[in-house]
Amino acid sequence: MFDDPLLLARLQFSFTAATHYLFVAFTLGLAPFILFGQLGAVLRRDPARLRAVRFWGGLYVVNYGMGVLSGLVMELQLAVNWSGLSEAFGYAFGAPLAVETMVAFFLESTFLGLWIFGWDRMNRWAHLACFAVVAATAYASAYWVLVANGFLRSPVGFEMRGGTAVVTDATALLANPAAVLAFAHVVAGTLMVGAVVVAAVSAYHLARGADPDRMFIRALRASGLVLALALMPTAATGGLQFGAAADAPPTSGLTLTAAEIAAVEDAYDGGAAAAIGAAGEMVMVLSWTLMSLLALALLLAWVPKAPGPLRWALWPVVLTPVLPYAASVGGWVYRETERQPWAVVHHLTTADAMTDLGPVAAGVSFSLFTAAFAVLAGTTWWLLVRYARRGPDGGPLAPAPPPESDARPPAVPVA
Amino acid sequence: METVPALFLTGLMVGYFVLAGCDIGLGMLLPHLARTPAERRRLVAAAAPYFLGTEVWLVGAVGVVAGLFPALKAALVADLWPVLTALLAGWLLRDAGLWFRSRVAAPAWHRTWEAAITAGSWVLAGAWGLVVGGLLAGGSPASPFALACAVCVTALFALRGAAFGAERLVPPEAEPVTVPGPPAAGGGALLVAARAGTAVDSAEAADAAGRATRVLARAALAAGGVAAAAALITGAAPDRPVAALAAAAVLGAVLAATAGLSGPRLSRHTSALAIAVPPLVVAAAVALPVEPVPGGTLALVGYALAPVVPLMVLGQVWLYRMLRRPAPTAGFFA
Repeated sequence: MFDDPLLLARLQFSFTAATHYLFVAFTLGLAPFILFGQLGAVLRRDPARLRAVRFWGGLYVVNYGMGVLSGLVMELQLAVNWSGLSEAFGYAFGAPLAVETMVAFFLESTFLGLWIFGWDRMNRWAHLACFAVVAATAYASAYWVLVANGFLRSPVGFEMRGGTAVVTDATALLANPAAVLAFAHVVAGTLMVGAVVVAAVSAYHLARGADPDRMFIRALRASGLVLALALMPTAATGGLQFGAAADAPPTSGLTLTAAEIAAVEDAYDGGAAAAIGAAGEMVMVLSWTLMSLLALALLLAWVPKAPGPLRWALWPVVLTPVLPYAASVGGWVYRETERQPWAVVHHLTTADAMTDLGPVAAGVSFSLFTAAFAVLAGTTWWLLVRYARRGPDGGPLAPAPPPESDARPPAVPVA
Repeated sequence: METVPALFLTGLMVGYFVLAGCDIGLGMLLPHLARTPAERRRLVAAAAPYFLGTEVWLVGAVGVVAGLFPALKAALVADLWPVLTALLAGWLLRDAGLWFRSRVAAPAWHRTWEAAITAGSWVLAGAWGLVVGGLLAGGSPASPFALACAVCVTALFALRGAAFGAERLVPPEAEPVTVPGPPAAGGGALLVAARAGTAVDSAEAADAAGRATRVLARAALAAGGVAAAAALITGAAPDRPVAALAAAAVLGAVLAATAGLSGPRLSRHTSALAIAVPPLVVAAAVALPVEPVPGGTLALVGYALAPVVPLMVLGQVWLYRMLRRPAPTAGFFA
């Protein structure tokens, strides 16, 4: 099985994309909490709220680092292992990705650098504006990537000229329902990811009876509200895509004849990929159902004086982040396996999209990057859990110790 | 229409080499420049804020190649697949080191990720050298000419890092002493710091970096000479030899100045000029498969990009202005 370069390249890309999305989802979901948290702190001139922003911001930055690393590998892997995509569809599929790198990522990374180093050095409104750019470009990034992904699923807005897809209708490309619906689904779904992780971290500290400046009960209440509000939009934008997937894309027939398309689809027997996709869908729906129950439970935090003596009841909430993460990966597995055997539906098969790699080259690339990813993602999660448990005094953005001291701030367990 | 996007791509690559050369080169020189834990921490804190704003230039360039020049991308991947894979691995390792190094306060943890920073930076610089050498040689990087080019480019990265280090590795304690001096004097900070007396010991890393600029400029000059000789002997000339000769002359003059005449004092500017040459010479002297970009794609990218260019400029200038001071001893990456 592992001497098939196509299978290796597909597995490698799915691992890369899934890992990347886990970090991206938390980035997108946490950004609004930080943005509005910092806005509230700046408006009220409240140092306590600003300490909370430092805490959540520390998690954001640690998580962002791995999001970038995996994103770089994903972008380069797309270029190196899947060159068939760019030969015929580079101008159509590559263009939104090119826009994403400059319009979104370039700004996001630069302004995040400013935000990290602007603590205690910048005017508070300028500092807030930096994070506003970070949050806006994070969402812009998701949109442009989904324009590219939506094009694979429902290729629109181009004509074939001499074997190359040339964009003739940019509006159709940008307003592609396969992209816009997916973007809405990702926005709502990642809010659920952010809300559940914020709820779990807050529940951990509240259950232990620690709530400095009341920051964790505030976060728990906000996350319950966000989760409850994001539930239905997530389901609706996901459900609307079920119907759209069945139709042939409007450009069907531009590259291959109807007979050729039918031959490719008849020769494809689904096999393991279809079974894995079905399992992904099931995981997604089941997780959503459990999170709707969680949302109801979290709304109880709005009861005055909650959690009070019932704080032990928060312990199970600590484990719930597994739900939105499982739903995210399950949803993507479902979406991407459903498209098979096509890389660009009715235009280019996944097999033809792959660079002509030998089994050795594909094997080396696969083992190298899969192993590196396992180490890096594992390390990042370990760090995230460690910082989340330490609380606001031990975070990476916590105020600096006196300059003379050579020691790092101690790992203070929250009492 | 390919001139404007081709110039834009060249600009992104030159920006990447000039700016990212600072943090990559500093990572390469980490074991040489920073001998004590405090010095290593300062070195990482000097490189780490920069890389957030420098590697985005390369990401943008990759985006432009993939979206606007698919034929160029296909040619690069076909000729340089192993080198690009190594480049990606080195990039990943270096960045992981910068992100993780200061996250846990344990000497073994620090040593592990410092090793990752150094190894990743060398792989990154070496892979860029092979990419430049391979492109100038017309495809394969496995020729004496291409390998000599690779050594030269690698030395240019280290030189850029040394010039950056001479400025950024000065301890903040010495900062008030440097305030009256001209802000542009790269080596000035370390000279003043050395004269200040109190900070002599702790400015050692900056001094070592200043001394290294001369050695590295000589090494790059020698490797460039070997490349020129190899080009003459084997006849491995780039597609447009006149442009290549002109670029080589500029590089030679700049390196000679850094190696002998001006030394570290102007190395901030000379190293920037020197490291801008490799991407420029590839753009000017190699007939790359750059095809006209279809109007629809160009319009899409242009209209999306134009409104945010001022914000991109603002962010970059603001970031570098904030970081134009000796590296802090505390903060996210310290």
